[in-house]
Parts: sequence; structure tokens; C-alpha cells
Amino acid sequence: MQNSANKLNADDDHVYNPPKPGRLSKPKKSRKKQDFWVIIGFLAPAMVIYALYVIYSIAMTFYYSLFEWTGIDSTLVFKGLENYITLMSDGVFWTSLQNNFLLVGASLFTQLPIGLIMALLLFSPVKGMRFFRSVYFMPFLMSTVAIGILFIYIYDGNFGIINQFLGQIGLESWQRGWLGNEETAIWAVIATVCWQFAPFYMVLFRAAIVGIPEDLYEAADIDGASPRKKFIHITLPLLIPTIITSSILSIIGSLKYFDLIYVMTDGGPNNSTELMATYMYEQTFTNFNMGYGSSISFTMFIIAFIVTAFIVLFDQKRKGAN
Amino acid sequence: MFKRTMGLLAMIALLFTTACTNSGGDSSSGSSEGSDTLTMWHIETGESEKALEDAVKRFEESHDGVNVKLVRQENDPYKTKLSVAMGGGSPPDVFHSWGGGWLENFVKADQVKDISEDIDTENYLPSALTPAEFDGKNYGAPLAMDIVPVWYNKDMFEEYGLEEPETYEELLSIVETLRSNDIIPFSLANQSKWPGSFYYMYLAERIGGPELFNEAFNREGRGFDDEAYVKAGEKIRELVEMNAFPDGFNGMNFDTGQSRQLMYSEDAAMIIQGNWMLGTTRADMPEFEEKLGFFMFPSIEGGQGSKQDIVGGVSPVFSVSKKTDNPDLAAELVNELTSKETAQQLANDDGAISAVKGVEYEDEYVQEINTVLEEAEYMQTFYDQTLPPEVAEAHLDTTQALFGQSMTPEEAAKEVEAKAKEVLE
Amino acid sequence: MLKKLRQIPLYMLAIILLIFTGLPFLIMVSASFKDQMEFMSSPWAIPEEFSFANYKLLIESDFFRFFFNSVLVSVISVVVVIILAAMASYPLARMKFKLNRPLFLLFLVGMMIPIHTTLIPIFLLTKNLGLYDTIWALPGPYIAFALPVSIVIFTQFLQDLPKELEESAKMDGCGHFRLFWRILFPLLTPAVATVAIYNFIQIWNEFVFALVLTNSEGNATLPLGLREFYGQFSVNVPGIMAALTLASLPLLLVYLVAQEKIVKGIAAGSVKG
Repeated sequence: MQNSANKLNADDDHVYNPPKPGRLSKPKKSRKKQDFWVIIGFLAPAMVIYALYVIYSIAMTFYYSLFEWTGIDSTLVFKGLENYITLMSDGVFWTSLQNNFLLVGASLFTQLPIGLIMALLLFSPVKGMRFFRSVYFMPFLMSTVAIGILFIYIYDGNFGIINQFLGQIGLESWQRGWLGNEETAIWAVIATVCWQFAPFYMVLFRAAIVGIPEDLYEAADIDGASPRKKFIHITLPLLIPTIITSSILSIIGSLKYFDLIYVMTDGGPNNSTELMATYMYEQTFTNFNMGYGSSISFTMFIIAFIVTAFIVLFDQKRKGAN
Repeated sequence: MFKRTMGLLAMIALLFTTACTNSGGDSSSGSSEGSDTLTMWHIETGESEKALEDAVKRFEESHDGVNVKLVRQENDPYKTKLSVAMGGGSPPDVFHSWGGGWLENFVKADQVKDISEDIDTENYLPSALTPAEFDGKNYGAPLAMDIVPVWYNKDMFEEYGLEEPETYEELLSIVETLRSNDIIPFSLANQSKWPGSFYYMYLAERIGGPELFNEAFNREGRGFDDEAYVKAGEKIRELVEMNAFPDGFNGMNFDTGQSRQLMYSEDAAMIIQGNWMLGTTRADMPEFEEKLGFFMFPSIEGGQGSKQDIVGGVSPVFSVSKKTDNPDLAAELVNELTSKETAQQLANDDGAISAVKGVEYEDEYVQEINTVLEEAEYMQTFYDQTLPPEVAEAHLDTTQALFGQSMTPEEAAKEVEAKAKEVLE
Repeated sequence: MLKKLRQIPLYMLAIILLIFTGLPFLIMVSASFKDQMEFMSSPWAIPEEFSFANYKLLIESDFFRFFFNSVLVSVISVVVVIILAAMASYPLARMKFKLNRPLFLLFLVGMMIPIHTTLIPIFLLTKNLGLYDTIWALPGPYIAFALPVSIVIFTQFLQDLPKELEESAKMDGCGHFRLFWRILFPLLTPAVATVAIYNFIQIWNEFVFALVLTNSEGNATLPLGLREFYGQFSVNVPGIMAALTLASLPLLLVYLVAQEKIVKGIAAGSVKG
């Protein structure tokens, strides 16, 4: 992995030995044909396993969503789009959709900025960087089970660390059972989700910042640019691709989020923290409505697809404009 | 050219898809290691798991060459795992359930074997068989039972001069006394939803009498929107307004111990919980046991239910999959798992109340609880286990909303009734 | 002096973040040294005496078997994902063809489907491949569902590499395969490290597929092994914390190694100029 460009002339010991192109003299058409096989060769291994598990599952989800089916017997009753029609007038679904968008917003505007700040801090002249780097990452490497249980206790109305802290600084009136209150529960969980995932974006941003050529900064230093100027004129523009990638990851991740809600509130109290995925899970495995559950899944899929396609196309335009 | 190849890939994927769906559901790979291996899924832990292991040992000794693979599952994920295994056509040969609506779903899906001929119904308490009985046939054999008393801290009751209440009015005055002394009257962790359901079941039964639920469930007579249910909802409201529960109780989780913690720290004086409370206390904080007393939920003046009636349930119930390769062996295993010997061991070591006749109790607490059970005139099985899952969810959700005061008693009752109408009729 | 003063807010921010990110981990570790009783009565305090009872229980159980299974499954899956995803990203990032963006989107859709609906189809698939209840049931879905995120990250990094790399390589008569593995891939180290960390952690903690696709105790991975600590009505919280503390150590190791790689990778990559 440490090979650098100077290995370029090393002997070719690979099994795959492409026919040496007769530089420039090659007819255009066969070049295209050759490209075609290269594309296939590089994509196929991933595509095979991906189609086998993922595309197949998505197709089956859509298929199931057209039926009334318990998931545990062998009678599937064809219903056409009826499940989707029911879904449109299902109040809990709309609540959960709304919660999902809250989570998307919170992820984009909290998780990513915090991740970026942490990444930038790692490049600042703070001593003991290695230590900070390790600790900052810890939320992301803790298992969701541990996080769930700990935060249930942290938010507890009677023993919780947050209420103890509020008591100490004289804000007794703010104390409450954070997860038991319909207004605060969703925010309490969203905060936990952001806490868990911010370090991942820190890693992503760090990897991107590391890739920015040093000489750009050196040139700026010669011009006497302030750190803020350097950030705005060098770092930030070069980070835009990473910001877009992170946004895609965090939007999709938030739209299908499940884990901590399931551990911490199970969608309650009174469905106030229900997400599309937890609602789908309840319908599929608690209420034995596999068909209906699948229609929720597929709707989630469509929503995520539209949002993502929009970003990808927008991103392509941006690149075209540059 | 490119398109053609992609098309080919898509075709291959499609072939896989059809191949997979067609062959689903034909064999039981849960027991694929040879015809004489039985797979059994259960959720028991500790001493009760030991009792099952011993039962399996006895079974293997008396059945030469038969091998039983006992696999313990975790309570919640177990339900998902069993559903997928059933849907995927690879269920275990013998599996755990709680009877009631959840099991009935599998019975309706033709996944459970009728074992009426295989078990001797005379061996079991009649009330314990009912939850797994559908259309007069037995689809499961019970091993143990649970009942739900009101647990309280004896020391604290003494300190504030309180006595076990006979009537609901007395219970309310206890709540008031405790509250005025800054004690949380009832500890409750209602994120899990079922702990709050105990209150609703007891109140409704005490007001509307033992037949109330059965009438609503069987769709003859009163419904889930009956006045008794509305009144039960109002009483819950009243308790919430009296501040009878801890802060944020709707977000607290019983399993992780949040409500028990308040009992142990003596911040709370009472808790309505199943008799498993005893076992969990012994595991969490053994020295607290001597402070623990219990009484039955008092009767309500003018109500039709008596203090003698109890809320309870049956667990575990063991059933046989229809897809098993060895139906007879599996049924025999169920017999051994619910034998008097197993039940006796469970009672001695785990303090369980037996669903099997003729078991004698050593533990003082268990004797007391058993007396309550014997004196009971009626046992109301847990709504969430008896009702079909969808109605059960509606009941649990609306009850939680009642406790959270985001739904009026009328709205809650109406919503459950609507769901019941849709599913049960 | 002035410079030092200016750094004070920086340090304050760094330390506040340190507390926020580090405290729950510390609570987890500290809880793992308590018994249930002590945890119930004082969940936050430092343990009165450090009891190793929970760890002893772990060592006596099948913990290391689960641990080994988890290592095996995670390492295999992550290595395969890196290779497959990096390869797939090459044409997507650096070659122009008509179906480029549609294919990229096709790879993205895998992220959009909630895992739980795929359980029954994947259960059937696994059964038909004859992999049910073996640990080989797991790498398949793990790899497949890890591909999208990995491809997104790789594609973006590959796009940012200068175009001249290919041109000079082609001048030297270097084929696509060699160009990719010998020249581009080494420059991807930060991306490889990021992808490795992300996927390793996700796979290491994965629960649902492992629950449904394996059955025997011998094939269980770590997250399933936690059921030792779940009673029917109660959870042995300190026990779980002990197990999860041990389980997080390999992750910390992977993270630290991968982060070092980034630094070294850059040092090596900077030769490119």
C-alpha cells in the first residue's frame, strides 16, 4: 500500500497483462471497446455480490409491498397499490416522516459542522493531538447497545446526570425525564445520534484535509494570509466534494435510521419518536403486516432515492460549471 | 454492448430471485443435522434455563440416539427471529411462546402442530392451558405462571403508618400520604408499555367485572369503549394528576432497571409488577428482599370486580412446529419439558408458580403467591399477550398515551375499540 | 506570549469536546467494574472497589469464541469490501461513459433500503446457498451492504486525484489494471483508512443479520453473545458494559492503526509532487 509513484517502472508481476496499446496509433473504435472491457472488469466483482444481496432484496421488498401478507404463512393476497394508499392516510407514518426530516436537519446542521470543527482542531497547534484524536473518536466505536443503555440513564428523570448537573447550576426548573416527555424525547434521541456519528465525519474530513497539498498553505503564508482567510479561501473550497459526500451519507443514514430509537424509546412515548424504520419494524414483526411494512420500506427507499438523485445531479452540474 | 451485458447481469440476478422464492418453505433446516436432532428455542435464563437443560438431559437418556439442540434466545429479538425463521420455512422443532394472540398468528398461518392428542391435559391447571387453546385444540403446553401483585416497601409503610389497603379509596389515601412526604408512590417504567397496562387491566376489571374483557374480546356484549374502560382511563388520569409516578416514567425502561432502582433507593414505595419482581430483586439487590411485601390490587366501591381476581399470564408455553421432521419426538420433548419434575425444579430453584398440577412449594414467598392464585376467582390474562398483536399494540400505545395525558380516556377507548372491530370481527 | 494567549479558547474548546466525547466511554468502563447492586445504587460514581467479577464471568463464558468469530467475519468482510469497492470506483470516478452516473446511483440505492425488510429475502437466499447457520452466512450481506458507502467515499477521493497521473502512466504504456493498483490505489490511503474504520465498526457491532442467519452458539458473533446478560425481565448492565468494553478494544486498535496509515500514506504520496 505504501507504493509510491516511483514504482511506476517496476516489473509487471501481475497476472492480468493487458495488451500493450500501440500508443496513439490505435484506432479509436477498438480503444473504446477496450475501455468497455476495463469498465466491466472493474465493476463486475462488486456488481455480482451487490446484485445478489441488495438489488434482489430491493426487488423483493417492492414485490411484497403489493400484497397483503403476514410474513409467516404462504398466502399472499395481491392488493396492488392498496398498501401505499393506506400509508398515505396513516397518521403515524406522517409523524415518523416528520421525525426523520428533523433528524436529517439535525445531522446536516449539527453532526457535520461538529465533525468539521473536531477535524480542524486536530490540525491546530494543540498539544497531545494523538490523545485528543483517540478520545474524540470514542462515541463512534462504542456499540449502540452500550450507548442506548448509558443514555437512558443519563436522561433519567430521577438519577440522570443531566438533571444532577442542572440542579447544581440552579436550573431545577429545567429538570425533567427527558425521554418520557413527548416534547423532549425526540430531541434527546437526536442529540444522542449526532453525538454518536459526529466522530465519523471528523475522520472523513480529516482524511480530506490531509489530502490538501501543503504548498497551497505555504504560498498563502508568504502572502501573509490569516488563518481565517486560509480556511475560507483554501480549506473550505477544497472540502466541498467531501461536504457533498458527507451530506449524502448523512441524509440517507438519517432517513433510514433505526438503532438508537429502538434501544432508547422504541418509538414512544405515544409515537413521538417514531421513525419510518421503527414503524416499519413494528408493522412487520410485531403486527405481522409484512406487506404493509414492505410498502413503508419501499416508500422510504423512494424518498431517499429522490433526494440523493437530486444531490448527485446537482453535484454533476456544479462540476460541469467549474 | 454495454447495455447487453448489464441486461445479462440483471437476468442472472432475476434468476436467483425466482430460484430463491420458489424453493422457500419446503424443509425444516432448523433440524438439518440429521433426522434425530431436535432444535428447541427458549428464552429462559439462570435457574430456569438449568431446569430446561435437565429436562432435555432426561429426554435424551430415555430416547436413545436423539439429540436435542437447546438454543437460548434474547426476549425481544426472539420474536423477530422466530418470525423470519417461520416465514423462511426453517422453524425450530419446539419453540417458546406466551400463548395468546401472538401464538394464534402462527396457528393461523398453519405453522403450529395441534398437540391435543399428545399431551395429557389433566396434568395442567385448566386456566394455564387456555392461552394456547384455539378452537378447542391445544397448541402448546404451559410450564409456569405469573401473577401481578402490588409490591411495597414494608419499612416505608411502617414509617408512615400505612397498612395494606382493602379498598381503592384507601390506596388513594396511601398515595396522598406518600406524596406529601416526598415519596414517589408508584415506581413505573412505562417506556416498555406493558408495566402501565397492569394498571389499566386492574382498574377496568375492578370496575367492569371479570366478564368485561371477555365480552369485548369475543365481540359479544360490552366493547373496549365501554364505560368501564373510560372510567379506568379516568382513574389513571387521576393518579397521574396526583403525581403518583416518577418524573419521565414514560421514558423509563423496566429491563435496564430504572423503576426497580427507585424502589431499592427507597425513593418510591410501591410498584405493580409480576412475581418475577422477586427473582430480579434477588439478582439486583438481595438484601432488599426482606423489605418487600405485597398485596392484591384493592376493589373499587361500586365496581363489579373483586380483590380476589388477579391479572396474570402463562410463560413459558412450549409448542411444536408443523414443519418438524419428527412430530412425535417433538411432542414427547414438550411433555418432558412440562413434566412435574421440571415444574418442581423450576419452583424450587427459581421460585416459579407452576402450571403443572401437584407441585409443592418450599419458598415462603412463592407459597404465599400460590395461595393467592388458588384463592383467585378469576384470572385476567395479560391483554397484550391475549389480544392479536395489532389490537395489543393499540392497547399498549393508547395506555401509554393515557399516562402521558396526550389522549383522553374516551379517545383511548375508542381507538382500541376501532382496532378490535377491524381485526376481531 | 500573545500567541499562547490566543490558544486558550482553542484549548477550552478542545477540552469541552474531550469531556463530551470521552465521558460516556469512561462511564461504561467504570460501570463494568461494579456489581449490579452498586450500579443500581450509584450508577455514576467511580467504583468503590474494582471488581473483576464481570470480566471473570466473560472469560469463563464463550466470549472468546464469539470474539474470534467476530474478528474472522469482520476482517474478511472489510478486506473484500475495500478491494471490490475501490475497483468499482475506478471507472466510476475516472472514466467517461454513458452509464456512469446511473451506475453510481445504482450503487447508492443499497444504502436506502432499511435492513429489516431485507431479512426474509436474505434468509431465503442464505438458506438456498446452503450457508444458513454457518458464519459464512454473514460476509455476503455485510460486504454487499457495505459497498455503497465505500464506493461513495472512494469515488470522491479518486475524482480529486490529478488527471496527469493517468496521462503519464499511459505514456509509459501502463495498462488500466497496473495504473490502478500501482499508482492510484497507494494514493488512496486516507480513503482506505476511512472506509476500513467505518465498515469495521459497523460490521463488528452488527446484530440483526447475525441474529437471523446464524443459530448455533458456536457461530454466534459478539453482539449475539451479549444475550448472556439479558434476563427475561432484566438486564445485567455492568456485565454488558464489561463485554462491550472488551469488545471496543479491537476497534480502538483498528482506528489508531488506520489513522497512523493516513499520516504515513500522505508522506509517501507527497512524492508525487
